[in-house]
Amino acid sequence: MKFSISKDVLLAKLGIAVRGVSTRSAIQTLSGVLIRAGSGGVQLQATDMELGLRVDLEAATEREGTVVLPGRLLLDVVRSLPKDQVTLEHRAGDGDVEVVAGSAKFHLRTLPPEDFPNLPEAGSEPLRVPTQAFVETINRVARAASRDETRPHLTGVLVSANERELRMVATDSYRLSVKETELAEPLAGSLEVNVPARTLQELTRVAGEGGDEIEVTALENQVVFSAGGVVLSSRLVEGRFPNYRQLLPESFEHELAVSGPELLDVVRRISLLAQKNAPLRLRFEDGGVEISAQTPDVGEASESIPIPFKGEPFEIGFNPEFFREGLESAESDEITLKLISPLRPGLIQSGDFTYLVMPIRLNV
Amino acid sequence: MEEPRCIAHMDMDAFYVSVELQRRPELRGKPVVVAGSSGRAVVTTASYEARKFGIFSATPAERARRLCPDAIFIPPDFESYRARSGEVMAVVRDHVENVEQAGLDEAYLDLTGLARPKAAARRIKAEVSEATGLTCSFGIGPNKLVAKVASDAEKPDGFVVLTASEARERFAPEKPGLIPGIGPKTADRLAAKGIDTLGKLASLPEESLVEWFGGNQGPWLGRLARFEDERPVTAHRAVKSESKETTFEHDLRGFDALAPLLGDLAESLCTDLGKKDRRGRTIGIKVRLADFSIHTRARTLNDPTNDREVVRRVATELLREFDPRSPVRLLGVRVAGLDEAAPADDQLALGV
Repeated sequence: MKFSISKDVLLAKLGIAVRGVSTRSAIQTLSGVLIRAGSGGVQLQATDMELGLRVDLEAATEREGTVVLPGRLLLDVVRSLPKDQVTLEHRAGDGDVEVVAGSAKFHLRTLPPEDFPNLPEAGSEPLRVPTQAFVETINRVARAASRDETRPHLTGVLVSANERELRMVATDSYRLSVKETELAEPLAGSLEVNVPARTLQELTRVAGEGGDEIEVTALENQVVFSAGGVVLSSRLVEGRFPNYRQLLPESFEHELAVSGPELLDVVRRISLLAQKNAPLRLRFEDGGVEISAQTPDVGEASESIPIPFKGEPFEIGFNPEFFREGLESAESDEITLKLISPLRPGLIQSGDFTYLVMPIRLNV
Repeated sequence: MEEPRCIAHMDMDAFYVSVELQRRPELRGKPVVVAGSSGRAVVTTASYEARKFGIFSATPAERARRLCPDAIFIPPDFESYRARSGEVMAVVRDHVENVEQAGLDEAYLDLTGLARPKAAARRIKAEVSEATGLTCSFGIGPNKLVAKVASDAEKPDGFVVLTASEARERFAPEKPGLIPGIGPKTADRLAAKGIDTLGKLASLPEESLVEWFGGNQGPWLGRLARFEDERPVTAHRAVKSESKETTFEHDLRGFDALAPLLGDLAESLCTDLGKKDRRGRTIGIKVRLADFSIHTRARTLNDPTNDREVVRRVATELLREFDPRSPVRLLGVRVAGLDEAAPADDQLALGV
């Protein structure tokens, strides 16, 4: 293998690929980036077995071949090089790759390529979805997925697409986030997959610079996304995604129109005094809500805003972070806050976005 | 009156090896060992054939090679084990609401309130094996301790149901170390007092235990030996600390040789913490010397952190203060007192 390329191009593409490198696998090769130089150009690959990245780059290949090099180290080396052409040459006899830029010369020992897994290929007829809608929907929903690896079936986002609707759902059992995005054009096919939230967050990073469409291929237990010269593949989450519709209450006692940004400001301020697992308290009375928090030995805070509430006053507690994230993800001037009673779920709604959040039982 | 509890402990049989054997059936019936490849690696699982040679979990790989030169060594593939574990736990969660996963290959199931708990457990056992082709052992009892010890009693493919008094009787002749929680040091101290069986420990007067082990640990040991255990089955175990450690190919000597490694460990630890958005206030180091003695040092900060520079700096200070004089086999960095998503006790959850 031998090719030359501009340092800046290599650095940019390598930076993307290295995000797929495994940081703690027992298989040493997975800490590496596979570099395949072919007649059509060069491809970088990395995977931690859960997520795989393939990045194409244009380079003048002098000799074809494939090597695996330690990913982090190679990135550090390339970043440190002077702005210039870089040449990488595999020296099979020495078991290393020579990296040359100007008079700087590195010899990096290769890792065994036979341990490097084959990454799944995108299908010949992928589903094309608009990048902007896809990325925005991920950004609004994915943070509600669980990070608790002992509950793997909740670590994913249920992605469904059909006709003109793109829907994503995530829940960590304390809150549930749903967005049903209407697409400008009907899709050519349909899709329903439970994708690890981490994969989708990675996709938002690589797809940002890509074209107008993301190509999605759902395989039996893998999914492959292609966008802007980057192919991101991932295993799918095993286990059935909860039937989220039955978690949404059919009706609510109170439906309150509120200014999203105003409520969010208040929640952010008052949450400063909701430390150490202390709840954020919302006390509803005729015409207003008082939001308060109290942390023993630290202090307390409260603030009231007008709200069209009528009826028996009550107080409900929420995890400040869960409640705040719901308001942030609503991304709207006008939201509707829907409530039943202190121990029943609350709901934040704005347009096609729905966020269910479970309360904290208040002691007093 | 409260309903008596019924707890099951499910333990997969030689889990890692069994997963490997499914991929490589030609190795069935042979001594197979899953262990890392570095000179200092230890065995993570041994097949039952390999166990006949005296190879168990935590046997140094080198020693395992000497014990059974014909054993087939396979490097661990945790990604696969995690995936298979997910399949197993999915089956379990289909049947039981309250499941406490205690590792990739074991879980406690709260069967209290089920009409026929033993039948349910048998069904789960059969379904796990049907769905995954892997076998497991079940122990069932009135608490986690009885369940855990019972699941280990007739491995592999075991199914043991015991009351607390049956457990006391059955395991009375066994060594105290049989009980999880009674470690080798405690076992040695007990043996020095002539207490070399669980039966003897169970019948010791509480005063003697208090005298020897103090007012907390003493009575606790007595309760363990009598198979008394009140711990609840809790679906989520809040992880309170995370650590990274590395065992060296060759022992390292002196602060200057060790300090740079703390930077690497701190970086990898903080990367993981950052991904989970978790921070901790207590930073610690762990040092294992050439004589296998383990030393830990820790310091608690005012504010939680996952900043690798902060973690590296504090860990380096701790190492400088400890200044190990003899060669070091293993070095670790730990961040404890993690805040984050340990949900409030009164947080209500959706039934998912």
